[in-house]
Amino acid sequence: MTAFVQPDTAVIVRQRLLENAEDVDALFVLAALHAHDGLVAEGITVLDRVLRLDPAYPGAWRFKATLHRMRGENEAGQSAWDRAEDVEP
Amino acid sequence: MSAPAPIRLKLCMAGEATVGKTSLIRRSVLDEYDDRYIATLGTKITKKVMSVQDPKGAGPATVHAILWDIMGTPTLRDLLKEAYYHGAEGIFAVADQTRKETLAALDAWARSIRSVAGDIPTFGLVNKKDLDPDPQFAAGEIEAFFEKRGWPWLYTSAKTGVGVEEGFRRLTETILADRPILKPDASGDGPRRPS
Repeated sequence: MTAFVQPDTAVIVRQRLLENAEDVDALFVLAALHAHDGLVAEGITVLDRVLRLDPAYPGAWRFKATLHRMRGENEAGQSAWDRAEDVEP
Repeated sequence: MSAPAPIRLKLCMAGEATVGKTSLIRRSVLDEYDDRYIATLGTKITKKVMSVQDPKGAGPATVHAILWDIMGTPTLRDLLKEAYYHGAEGIFAVADQTRKETLAALDAWARSIRSVAGDIPTFGLVNKKDLDPDPQFAAGEIEAFFEKRGWPWLYTSAKTGVGVEEGFRRLTETILADRPILKPDASGDGPRRPS
């Protein structure tokens, strides 16, 4: 029996972005990977790109709110949260 | 008299990667199955329209279930929990009967969702019933896991369809039975639970 190998999210993201630099799913996860690595400002930059490509991407505005709050940017966080209330299905 | 507006519910699929969350949605909404595995990145949203018995009403209710198919990456779970789980009204906790560790992992997924969405109904789906179970499972272990947590559950197979519709129906009916007084939905797409 072959041991199960968990898919490596970072590798999948890299592959998907090589195939399509505007893959919003891959960009969204790239933003999360940056933030997870402590690079929150870089995460916000990538997330802004996601939101330019798809302003209604599920969860993106709330994630942007989370990242702004992590940086102490409460006003920007609230603004992103309010935007999520408008666009989420 | 016009028909009652549909009820909107946000349901989240939770569980480790490759347990079959996307395949269960695909089976349920499209009645299709594809053996190829494509990892979900980010989230996908699918609407499933159901007619279920409203436990608080006299007849059937039309439900528009908004299914959030969320990638099963535990390392990013807490970072993304507000983004994904805000406003969720029900959880499908999905395990794979061919990998024992996917069952124990459900606790962390449910904890993360409930930290955002509160104590919402959770329904276990033990998927891949069409395959041989992990021999490391002791007799009665799966039943005991769900009984201990008070989560109803079913074996499912996204491949054959076994259990899938019943799972969606039962979770939806549980939510409807528990739901508080509704307020009109601003989208005009029916009432939803206050967030």
